[in-house]
Amino acid sequence: MELFKFAKYPFMAGAKEWVKKEKIGMDEILFDGVYERARRRGVERVMNALYKGKINEAPLINEIDCMMEIFSYPIARMIAVAVESDYVLRRYALAEAKKAYELLKNEEEIILKEVAREFDIDISNDEMHFSVYLKYAPHEPKWKLVNRELRNGYVKIAKHEIARILQEAIKNKIYNELSFLYAPQEVKNIFREEILKIRRRIIKTEKMKGEASFESFPPCIKNLISAIKSGANIPHVGRFTLVTFLNAVGMSVEEILKIFSSSPDFNEEKTIYQIKHITGKISGTIYSTPKCSTIQTWGLCFSNENCKKIWHPLLYYKIKSRGK
Amino acid sequence: MNFIKRKFFTYYLKPKIEFPNRFDRREYAFIIDGVMHRHISFSSKDSLLSYLKINVPMHCYYSSAYYKEPSAESMQDKKWMGAELIFDLDADHLPIANLSYEEALYEVKKELKKLLSFLIEDFGFKEKEISVYFSGGRGYHCHVINKEILTLTSKERREIVDYIMARGIDINEVVKERKIEKIGKVYFDRTYEIFPQQGGWKGRIAREIIRFLKRIKEMERESAIEMLMQLEGIGRKLAEEIYDKLSDERLRRIEEGKIDQGKAFKKIANSLAIKLSVTLQSGADEPVTADIKRLIRLPGSLHGKTGLRVTKVKLSEIDEFNPLNDAVVFGDDLVEIKILKPFKIKMMENEYNFKKGLVKVPEYLAIFLVGRGIGIV
Repeated sequence: MELFKFAKYPFMAGAKEWVKKEKIGMDEILFDGVYERARRRGVERVMNALYKGKINEAPLINEIDCMMEIFSYPIARMIAVAVESDYVLRRYALAEAKKAYELLKNEEEIILKEVAREFDIDISNDEMHFSVYLKYAPHEPKWKLVNRELRNGYVKIAKHEIARILQEAIKNKIYNELSFLYAPQEVKNIFREEILKIRRRIIKTEKMKGEASFESFPPCIKNLISAIKSGANIPHVGRFTLVTFLNAVGMSVEEILKIFSSSPDFNEEKTIYQIKHITGKISGTIYSTPKCSTIQTWGLCFSNENCKKIWHPLLYYKIKSRGK
Repeated sequence: MNFIKRKFFTYYLKPKIEFPNRFDRREYAFIIDGVMHRHISFSSKDSLLSYLKINVPMHCYYSSAYYKEPSAESMQDKKWMGAELIFDLDADHLPIANLSYEEALYEVKKELKKLLSFLIEDFGFKEKEISVYFSGGRGYHCHVINKEILTLTSKERREIVDYIMARGIDINEVVKERKIEKIGKVYFDRTYEIFPQQGGWKGRIAREIIRFLKRIKEMERESAIEMLMQLEGIGRKLAEEIYDKLSDERLRRIEEGKIDQGKAFKKIANSLAIKLSVTLQSGADEPVTADIKRLIRLPGSLHGKTGLRVTKVKLSEIDEFNPLNDAVVFGDDLVEIKILKPFKIKMMENEYNFKKGLVKVPEYLAIFLVGRGIGIV
C-alpha cells in the first residue's frame, strides 16, 4: 500500500526513506540495466513537463511499476537541474505538482491530510489558518481571502479544494529544493543528449519570447500603445503597466524605449530611468504587471470577448500567442 | 532655534518614548530642520534618547520591519527578517472633504473600530497582539504583532488589505442564486440565498442586510424609501417595491436567508459592503499595509505639525480617547501668536473661535496652530 502511495507522490519524505531502506544506490539507478525503465521514465517526466506542461500518468499495476516510478522521480529532478535553467525548473515543478493534483483530487481525506502534514499545513475541521492559506491559495477571484469564510483566523476549506492548495505547496517545495541543487557529472554524461535537446528547445522559446507579437497583446496594452503613439497623455500608472508588461514578454530596455519614443512629449533620459527602475535594473525590484482588477480600478481596462475568465494581462498574451 | 523646535527640545529632555519591540533590529528615521535622515539604528535605548535630545527632530519614525543590519543603506544589505502588520487610518484618505479637525478624527475613529472588528473577529488576533496609536496628526495607526504574520510577503499582506477593504468581493457569492427545477415542468425557478450564519464577508453582509431591513420596516414609508434610494443603484421604483413587499412573513424568511428579489438585494449588498469596509490609506498602487518595509511614527514622539504626542490608545478606551486632550504634552503658559485665518477648535476642554489677528493662547495651542500653519509667532 505504502509503495503505491509513494509511487503516486514520490516527493513525500517517506518515499526517500523507502529508497534508503531498500539500499539501492544512485549508481545502480544510473547505470544498472535493470533500471533502464526508471531512467526512461525520468526523461519522460521532464520532457512531458516541458512540451506538454503536464506529466503523463504511468500505469501502476504491480510493485515493479511502483519501484520504477519512484526511482524515476530523482532521475527527473537531476535532469531538470542539469539543464541549468530557471525556466525549466519552474515548468518541471509545476508539472509535477499538477500531476499530484490530479491524483489527490480523488483521494480520501486521510491521504490528503497526510500529504498536507508534509508541508506543515494543518487542516482540521475543514479549516486552515489564514496565514498558511495565503501562502498557497491560487491567485484567482474565488480564492481571494475576501471571498472566503474567515472566522477567528481560520479559513473554511472544502475537501476538493485541499488538493488545489497542496498543488501549490508541492510546486513551491520542488522548485525551492531544486534551486539549491547541482547535478552530478555522471548525470550530465548519461543524459547528455536529452539535456542538450532541452537546452535547444528553451533557446527557441526564449527567442519566441523576444519577438513579442503585438497582435497577441491584450486590449488594455494595445490601447496604451496606441495612446502613446497618438500623443495622448497617459497617466503614470498606464506607463507603469505598459513597461512591466513589455518587460515580462521579453522586450529589452531599448525596445521598450522605442515604443515610448513615438510619444510627442518623449524625454529620453527620464524614460530610460523609469524603464530601468521598473524593470529592476536600478531598484533591484522587478515590478510585476498589475492584474486585471487593478487595471480596471485605474480605468485602463478595455476588455473584449477574449478577456473573459482572464484575470491577468500576461495570461491573455500567453493564451493568444500559444494559439498561433 | 525656532519656536516649535525650542518647545520640542523641552519635551525631548524628558520624553515618554514607547520603544518598539526588538528595538535594535529596527531602522529609524528623523526629519531634522526639514531634512530626512534615514538608515539609523540604535543599540541602546539611551542612545536613541540622547539622539532626540541633541537633534530635536520634527518627526520621528521607525521601520515596521526587523532587519539584520537596520542601518545598511540598501534593502538587500539590510536583510529583511520580518515585519509587523501596520494599518494607517488617516482623515486625508476618507472620501469626505471639508471636515473640521475634530470631525475628521471622529470619522477616522469609526474606521478604526471597523478595522478592529475585522482583526479580532475574522482574523482572530488577540487584543494583546494589537496596539493602537493616535498618529499625532489626523489619524490612527494600528500595529499587529503576531508570529504567524511576521514573515508574510507583500502579496499576502495585500490580500489582508483587500479583505478589510472588501476589494475584489464577489457579490454573486454573497447573494447566491439558486436554480430550482419545478417538478413536472421544464423551466427553472430562481431563488436567492444569503448566509447570516456564516463567517467572513458573506455573513457580515447578510447580517447587515437583515439589520438594515428591520430598520427600514420600522420607518415611515417616505423616509424608508428615501433611505433605500441612498444606496447606489436603487431608484424610486425599486425602493418602493422593496418597502411595500416587506411583510413580517417576508422579513422572517429573509432572516432565514431566503430572498426572492435577487437583483435588488445584490445592489443592497454591494452598497452595504462599501459601508462595512474600512477605508485605508492607499495610493493608486501600493496600500501601505502591504508594504513590508515602511516607516511608521515612533510612539511617544511628537508630530511636528501639531505638537501632539503619538499616543497609545487602549482598545477598551477608544471611545473616550480625545486626542485634543489626551495627546497634549505642553503646558498652558500663555503665548502671543498671530492668527492668519479664522479657525475654530476645542482643546483641553476649552472652546476657541479665532478671527485673524493677535491672540494670547496656551502654549499647547500655540504650538498646534503654528505647526498647522494657522498662526505665526
